[in-house]
Amino acid sequence: MKLKQFYILAVFVCLIPLLSSCFQVIEEITLRNDGTGDVLLTINLSQSKTKVASIMLLDSVQGYKVPSKQKIQQELNDAVAYLRKTEGISNVKSTSDFNNFIATISFTFKDVANINNITKNILAKQKIKATNTSSYSYNKTTKVFSRKYQPVATAKTEFNKLKSQDKAVFNGANYTSIYRFEFTVTSTSNPASNLSKSKKAVMLKSSVMDLINGKINVSNQIQLSK
Amino acid sequence: MEKLMFPIKYNYLNKMKKILIAISLLLLTKLNYAQDLVKKIPANAFTVATIKGDNVFKLMFVKDFNESFLGKKLLTETSKSLDQNLTSIEDFGINLEKNMYYFNQLSDSISYNCFLIPLKDVKKFESLINEKDKKIYINGDVRTMVLPDSTSIIKWNNNMMYFVTGSIRGSFFADSANSARYGIKEIRYQNNYDVSVADSAVAMVDSTYTTTPQNQVLDIVIAPPPPVAKGWTVDPPTNKQTVKKSKNISTPKSSKKKSAKKKSSKKKVASKAKKVEEFEEYKVLDVPVAQEGYTSDSTAIMTQTGNPDEQYDEYQKERAEQDAKKKQLAFVWMSAQADQIFTSNYESIEANKSYSASLDNKAIAELWVSSLQDAYSSIAPEFGTYGKSGLMKGYGSLSAKLFMDDKSFRISTGLELAKEQADAYKKIMNRKLNKKFLKYINSGKAIGFMGYSIDTKAYLEEFPKLLKQTYGSFLGKNMDEEIELGTDLFSLLLDEEAVSKVIKGDALFVINGLNTRDVTYTTYDYDDDYNRKEVTKTKKETLPDFLFMFSSEDNRLMNKLIKYGMNKNYVTVNNNIYKIEEKKSPIDIYFMIKDGMVFFGNSLTEMQSISNNTFAPTISKSHKTLLAKNNFSFLFNAKNLVGKVPTEEIGGEETAKKFNETLGKMGNIYMKSNPIKGNVVSADISAEIPNGHENALKYLFTLIENASK
Repeated sequence: MKLKQFYILAVFVCLIPLLSSCFQVIEEITLRNDGTGDVLLTINLSQSKTKVASIMLLDSVQGYKVPSKQKIQQELNDAVAYLRKTEGISNVKSTSDFNNFIATISFTFKDVANINNITKNILAKQKIKATNTSSYSYNKTTKVFSRKYQPVATAKTEFNKLKSQDKAVFNGANYTSIYRFEFTVTSTSNPASNLSKSKKAVMLKSSVMDLINGKINVSNQIQLSK
Repeated sequence: MEKLMFPIKYNYLNKMKKILIAISLLLLTKLNYAQDLVKKIPANAFTVATIKGDNVFKLMFVKDFNESFLGKKLLTETSKSLDQNLTSIEDFGINLEKNMYYFNQLSDSISYNCFLIPLKDVKKFESLINEKDKKIYINGDVRTMVLPDSTSIIKWNNNMMYFVTGSIRGSFFADSANSARYGIKEIRYQNNYDVSVADSAVAMVDSTYTTTPQNQVLDIVIAPPPPVAKGWTVDPPTNKQTVKKSKNISTPKSSKKKSAKKKSSKKKVASKAKKVEEFEEYKVLDVPVAQEGYTSDSTAIMTQTGNPDEQYDEYQKERAEQDAKKKQLAFVWMSAQADQIFTSNYESIEANKSYSASLDNKAIAELWVSSLQDAYSSIAPEFGTYGKSGLMKGYGSLSAKLFMDDKSFRISTGLELAKEQADAYKKIMNRKLNKKFLKYINSGKAIGFMGYSIDTKAYLEEFPKLLKQTYGSFLGKNMDEEIELGTDLFSLLLDEEAVSKVIKGDALFVINGLNTRDVTYTTYDYDDDYNRKEVTKTKKETLPDFLFMFSSEDNRLMNKLIKYGMNKNYVTVNNNIYKIEEKKSPIDIYFMIKDGMVFFGNSLTEMQSISNNTFAPTISKSHKTLLAKNNFSFLFNAKNLVGKVPTEEIGGEETAKKFNETLGKMGNIYMKSNPIKGNVVSADISAEIPNGHENALKYLFTLIENASK
């Protein structure tokens, strides 16, 4: 849950508070042996596109202002601009498809730790408090890739303060994280995660609701073959 | 639907007590003689509300009421609060077969809220209110009880109970002539302060002096008093407002100085000092004023002003004294008014033609408000300035009636218009819905429709006049010429005749059911390496099929627009059916022109069947009547929605079940406007009750009971 939070909170919470909607949040990290890698963040609302398109025609929904296409694009550009200035981050790109309502951001990092403060800083710029503490690390000697995720207790309380119809927005929402490696994976600490056939990728799927409620923890320690 | 239910429950619980109190009050009385209490309502009553006991208890026997949930609750709660054992609403002593009334009477000085309740058994009634600490004054057969705090009076004889509560209109005493007449002083914090600092003897003598000039200043700055037309003045400056306003007063230096001129120099210092202090208090630091020599006095202030707390206490005390005086006065007036009800003969509201015309024997409750124009000035006195010059001019009395029978609830509202207004509306409403529209309603499937018909030409001609009459006074008198100019310009720019050919003024919007369609969306598949691959999948989506149609004789403009749209690729055509190519729209919209009608819709099949004349007309007789006979009609048929929305789109099985259950229980809801009768425009809202309920009143009781569970 890194840059995705930014999307969900800043943009899409405001967008889809009509009963349950389906949307996907996907976080992909490809790690090379030298410790550099690529990140691809995707938010896909295409399954709810009729609803989203309808909402985009309105000014506000259930008390939330509906951002214009321009406004969303602007936010996306701001995030890109911020990333470009961030140390260790390069090759920043973004795409947006307002017919299917899919947006992506991708970039390359020197070290996986470079991405640790990005979300928090971007959220802070949006005046949104981060709802979790999450960090990535890769130890080249021990070959351990780890993601530490600690949901912040206040996130749940804040979430519970939402009106029920606003909460329902997250009913059909999914979060997927995929980590790909050049080495094969020998073990993973999170039983909810799946290993690919090639043993070079780890996937974890969860509903956004479970994440918010703390039912699922996306922390993982991935041991790569030495 | 769930959403709808909650507020009902919430409101219900919250208002329960209030309702109970109101009902018990209403029920607290009796009357044996044939005379209806309406004869006791003075002809100048402003509002009259009636509950028709006989009609109510025709729908529900007293016994049934006593045994109903609401009845039981009422009886136990009142029993508890009165420390008695009541088993039937008849124990209140009220004559339930007679009408109960509420009315409201306004004057420039006081407004009365009054209840007139018929009594059947005065003993029972008295036993309810008989408490040792309450004194009852007896004069002949009239008994009087003053409620604690002297704010209301209950007066009764063997036949009726009268309850009155009066409140002084603050505006009355804003007029210094009135306050002087009744010995009321306008207390202001600042004033009081001046008085206490300055020589008290002088202050006493000068008290009116110190008040009035400030009053005038205040009035100039804040709100110019309107010319009193009907004796009503603007909302008075309350004490609280006054304190705030004082910063406005003190800002114009010259006026303040003038008002302080006659006072001793010592006092001047004090008042200046006070001003500085006040500025600080309200954070409106007028720096230039403060520098103009006030600062030098600041030490003097401290020694002379004394303890501000004491001054405030003093102010509070004086205010309380004046309030008590006003209350006393209100009580005197109230008593006199109540005496009149019992002893004098006067013209009753029955003589008012507008009132008597508004009545209906079958209604179970009625409400009548004498004039919308007066209501505006009364509800929102801040509009008073405009009200005098006639905001809502031309709108007369307002009436509402509630009917309940074995089929439905119905609220019928009527608004009386001035003759020219009514004539204008008659012209505008002189059009019937195009009969050809009715072919395109599928009553078996329709979830709802709305039809309206007006004469566009008449509307365009009358609209500017109506607007001017209704809101013209908002813009002020000196805007008359501008309004005139605007009206002419409007007519000049628009060729009413030509416009009315393009848009004749009748239209119908109908939702002929829901349709499921396939929608594609993008998602991802993952290979053995969890590399993602974009795939397109389809899912079902349910959307209402809407159809909108309006009559048009002259299609030249439409055709030009279509040609333009096609050239720009905004519009495509297939067999006379045009499609709007707008990416932004989440649904496809089609339109076509046929037989002098323009159609818009989102269902291609529906459009095609209209185009090929294969649309099977299935309109029911009642729908036909509703649409064809009225200028405006609306219908919502919830039953046709039951089970039509897929469970997953409502948000789960449980929600869907509740949703469908609620819809299944709802009867048709519809609205219609009635033809203008005389000078009265009226409209009805009806809700049919589901089968299996004896009548609407009993159904209402069931609803309340269910909601409170």
